[in-house]
Amino acid sequence: MTQSFNKNAKILVFSTEKISDPAIDMAGLMKLHYPPTVYTITVPCSSGIKPSWIMHAYEKGFDGVFIAADGTDCVFGETCTQKTGNVVSMAHDQMKEKEIDPARLRMAAICSVCSEAFVKQVRSFNDYLIKTLHAE
Amino acid sequence: MKERIGVYICHCGGNISDYVDVEKVRQAVQDDEGVVLAKTTVFACSDSNQTDMVNDIKEHNLDGVIVSSCSPKLHLTTFRDVTERGELNKYTYVHANIREQVSWAHSDDKIGATEKAIHVVKAAIAKSRYAKPLYPNQFEAEKTIAVIGAGIAGLKAAISLSDKNSNVVLIEKENRVGGHTATWGSLFMTDERGSELIDRIYSDLSQRENVFILTGSEVISSKGSIGNFTLKIRKKPQIAGDPVETMEINVGSIVVATGFEHYSPEEGEFAFAQNEAVITLPNFKQLVDESSGKVLEYNGKKIKNIAYVYCVGSRQTEGENKYCSRYCCTSVIHTAIETKKKFKGIQNIHLNRGIRTYGKQELLYAESLQMGDLYLQFNDDTPPEIRNEGKKTVVTVKDILSAGRELEMEVDLVVLVTGMVPRKDQSIGKMLKLPKGRDKFYNEVHMKLRPVETVIDGITIAGTCQGPKNISESVNSALSAATKSFSYVSKGTLETEPIVAEVDHEVCSWCGKCAEACPFDAIEKQEVNGKEVAVINTSVCKGCGMCTPVCPVDAIDLIGYTSEEMKSMIEVLA
Amino acid sequence: MKEPKIIEYDALVIGAGIAGGETALNLANTGYKVLLVEKDHSLGGKMILLSKVFPTLDCAACITTPKVSEIARHKNITVFTESEVTNISKESANNFVAQITKKPRYVHVDDCTACQLCEQACPVSVQDEYQYGLIGRKAAYIPFSIANPKAAVIDIENCTLCGACERVCPTQCIDFTMETEYYELHTKTVVLATGFTLFDPIEIPRYGYGRYKNVITSMQMEREIAPTRPYNTILRPGDGKVPDRIAYVLCAGSRDNTVGNPNCSQICCMYSIKQAQLLMGALPMADITIYYINIRSFGKGFEEFYQQAKSMGVEFVKGKIGEITEKDNGDLILRYEDINEGVVKEAEHDMAVLSVGVRSNPTIGKIFNNGALKFDPLNFVAQEDLMGSPSKTSIKGVFVAGTATGPMDIPDSILSAGSAASEAISYLTQHQEV
Repeated sequence: MTQSFNKNAKILVFSTEKISDPAIDMAGLMKLHYPPTVYTITVPCSSGIKPSWIMHAYEKGFDGVFIAADGTDCVFGETCTQKTGNVVSMAHDQMKEKEIDPARLRMAAICSVCSEAFVKQVRSFNDYLIKTLHAE
Repeated sequence: MKERIGVYICHCGGNISDYVDVEKVRQAVQDDEGVVLAKTTVFACSDSNQTDMVNDIKEHNLDGVIVSSCSPKLHLTTFRDVTERGELNKYTYVHANIREQVSWAHSDDKIGATEKAIHVVKAAIAKSRYAKPLYPNQFEAEKTIAVIGAGIAGLKAAISLSDKNSNVVLIEKENRVGGHTATWGSLFMTDERGSELIDRIYSDLSQRENVFILTGSEVISSKGSIGNFTLKIRKKPQIAGDPVETMEINVGSIVVATGFEHYSPEEGEFAFAQNEAVITLPNFKQLVDESSGKVLEYNGKKIKNIAYVYCVGSRQTEGENKYCSRYCCTSVIHTAIETKKKFKGIQNIHLNRGIRTYGKQELLYAESLQMGDLYLQFNDDTPPEIRNEGKKTVVTVKDILSAGRELEMEVDLVVLVTGMVPRKDQSIGKMLKLPKGRDKFYNEVHMKLRPVETVIDGITIAGTCQGPKNISESVNSALSAATKSFSYVSKGTLETEPIVAEVDHEVCSWCGKCAEACPFDAIEKQEVNGKEVAVINTSVCKGCGMCTPVCPVDAIDLIGYTSEEMKSMIEVLA
Repeated sequence: MKEPKIIEYDALVIGAGIAGGETALNLANTGYKVLLVEKDHSLGGKMILLSKVFPTLDCAACITTPKVSEIARHKNITVFTESEVTNISKESANNFVAQITKKPRYVHVDDCTACQLCEQACPVSVQDEYQYGLIGRKAAYIPFSIANPKAAVIDIENCTLCGACERVCPTQCIDFTMETEYYELHTKTVVLATGFTLFDPIEIPRYGYGRYKNVITSMQMEREIAPTRPYNTILRPGDGKVPDRIAYVLCAGSRDNTVGNPNCSQICCMYSIKQAQLLMGALPMADITIYYINIRSFGKGFEEFYQQAKSMGVEFVKGKIGEITEKDNGDLILRYEDINEGVVKEAEHDMAVLSVGVRSNPTIGKIFNNGALKFDPLNFVAQEDLMGSPSKTSIKGVFVAGTATGPMDIPDSILSAGSAASEAISYLTQHQEV
């Protein structure tokens, strides 16, 4: 393992095809750096993420999961925000059962040009995870 | 399960290979289960590589193809088409983004970037193993097109569509057409009046049988998607007291041409609304246009010395409006020259931040200099100051063209050269879910590849709602948008995306939760093999996946995003 | 002259740069048969030779190569490279007759595999025009690595007919018996997308271009930083040194009546700022200075891009360069008027890049019979209805796209192409034969 992989937390990001993923792309275009241990899986809409996937990520070794949600910009309708919220609370229930720190799951609405917000969010999430999980 | 996968890793002419060791990535994935071919290529999207891919698919009998290159937003369709030319179902193609989300995002860490690229490509391989051939359904598209906004862009878009024998519904909120253009006097470079330009376009348009013009009308809701939008429109009564009319129209595509607003200075911004002698550019243009006589008068006062303060509400170093509004330099210089020609004793003083009369508009600037207009340039951190001395208006400016000397002058009128800002009323954008750019104007998918398309299929943007433009630039954008909208629906049929939800009827025992979650009413209870289960109406399903997490027995998956696929990707990434 | 072969298409598009290509695609996707005529050996015009493009820094090749590939493969588009339209006459509203000359490439494109063996065998070396003279090429050569069609060409002007290429060619695709072909095209509409030419700074002797090796044009710098670049690094041509102090001279041949061009070229500010940003990335220790009169960053995202360059440390000096002189070691002294301070100053640089402007392309001047096509005073195609229909020319049924009407950046060229295609489709719809 390389240095950068040791000093950073492993974060799985769920992004959305039309809203948050373009913002993450633009972060790259603008060369706004964030840890390379941040991986993205893209889905059509953040309200379609299954809690079981989130749990699977922790089981397989991810330190944190970040949902880059559509928010009110969702192309599939207004109910997305509330439904994504439900996904998070279902996941939190399952995390509680497994005694996983609920703060290891974060969600924020990332609009299609919110590149700076995205980078800020994952950096601070990374800092939190390093502090809590990788403290010496 | 795919067993013969081909993987291509793109250098992107250095954009990727300068930061990611592409050969190392290739070696790391070449022995993955199912991979029979792993190659690097300088430009995956080039014609020669596309031809190689088609040959490889046939020669190696590939059943899955992966290109690891730029964002799928750029070239997913390019490579899906290549896959199809190789006689493979295009949905078996999987794309891995190792540029925007790897090499560029981690250009500060080459080792980390290479490591990440390996994981990302491996995840794509995992996904590819499950990728099934899919077949889109055809459906009939409504061929009528709606144009929202009847300024110059909307009017021209409507003409262009009508010319192509398309039915058009042109919807305008105001009671008149022509938008801002109709309010302009003489236009640079043709000297036609804005109202004349609009009149000649409108008189052509209004005679056409395939164009329905709805003025005083607002779109209040939108349902549906490409090929079948339903817009609800409210039309204000023409005669006071008449009932408000509402109607519904079905259209296949929508051209949004809602235009801009003039920046409105805040009270006290360059003494605006405090000093009577301070007015905005659109007001000044109107004043000049409507005034006659030998001397220009404003508020009963004779006007001789005019100071123009540029970039008001544009190119701000802090807060919003960091952008240049593009049209104002030319517009104000044109008006200043007009003023000088029309009235006696005018002295124009341009307090600017660098004149941007780009292209042929430069000739106008040269003319203005020749006519003796005075140009003083200030820095963004030392804007001009405007104060009253008794009844006089005095302007002070630090002119960087004379080594930062502070100059003071008495003027009769101060014109704030206000720029373009996005419409305050964002209801259309919100309703249609149009994304906005950093400048808060509506955003195109890609400035060069898809400049009039939005991420919402079937909706295009025209004119200044996308960003500041002058009239001919707006018209070019409008005609481009009209052609794009036309091409969506002109064939009369469209294909549905085959990414839809799928119910495992063995596991499902109808509880109705998925139907409740579906925003499109695409799920119904039906009896299948003597058992009540959820059935997806695939022609209505939009593939959002909202139904999948709510199923208590995990019986629903979205095709292309099944739990199996997602979990296998997560495993590789971890 | 041989009898011309008679061919028929719905539309003729002249010029296969980004504007012509976009126009052809729009027409073809609507179902019309298009003949796309290009005088050069490859599609893609000037854009395909660029490095990255402002203000997003996308690589130019990433946008053009898939586009030209789509054009080349489109079932409704036929491409003629090495071809020129010599005459067009309008017979009726929807019948234009065009004479086309297709010069021989001396290579059968379909058989060529671009293996480059002919290039290695060819004994003749000449300047490579696709690398803007920075390096040489052979007389048997592939134009550039991402050219389309990607096939060899024989430069017959410089060829000694030694036959070396023919002997090594594994597919026997080289054929010296190929002859010029003549076509008579019948078409219903014409779109002019003949683009622009770059100002040749040899016209301004005081800048020393052509005499001082370290004075180069912006297009040469563009090649130095492109992915398919000649040196694979950035260096000054005089002695191969990696430059530390690079100067940009804006408005070289623009806003300058002494060279007959009062226009602003609209693109130079932005491409210079872009090159400066790319150079800062490639040569982190280098100082980049841009000498300007006004910075014209007017388009979407442009002002932000300019501010970004300033914050990266690119130095902007408001000053017009009077003269460039060369020192013995090849370094350059730029004499300029510092407009802010009102004094004449001198500065030393390792290399000077002249940001050359946009000129009209003279080749379309006499194509149309009886001078029916009108031009503006600088020989750009005149726009009959600039405000109402910017792509209409003085001839009904003939439209214009991109920089043939004047300076334009890439996004504007593409929108203009969309506009021209829209007018052409409307024209075809309105003039259908009954």
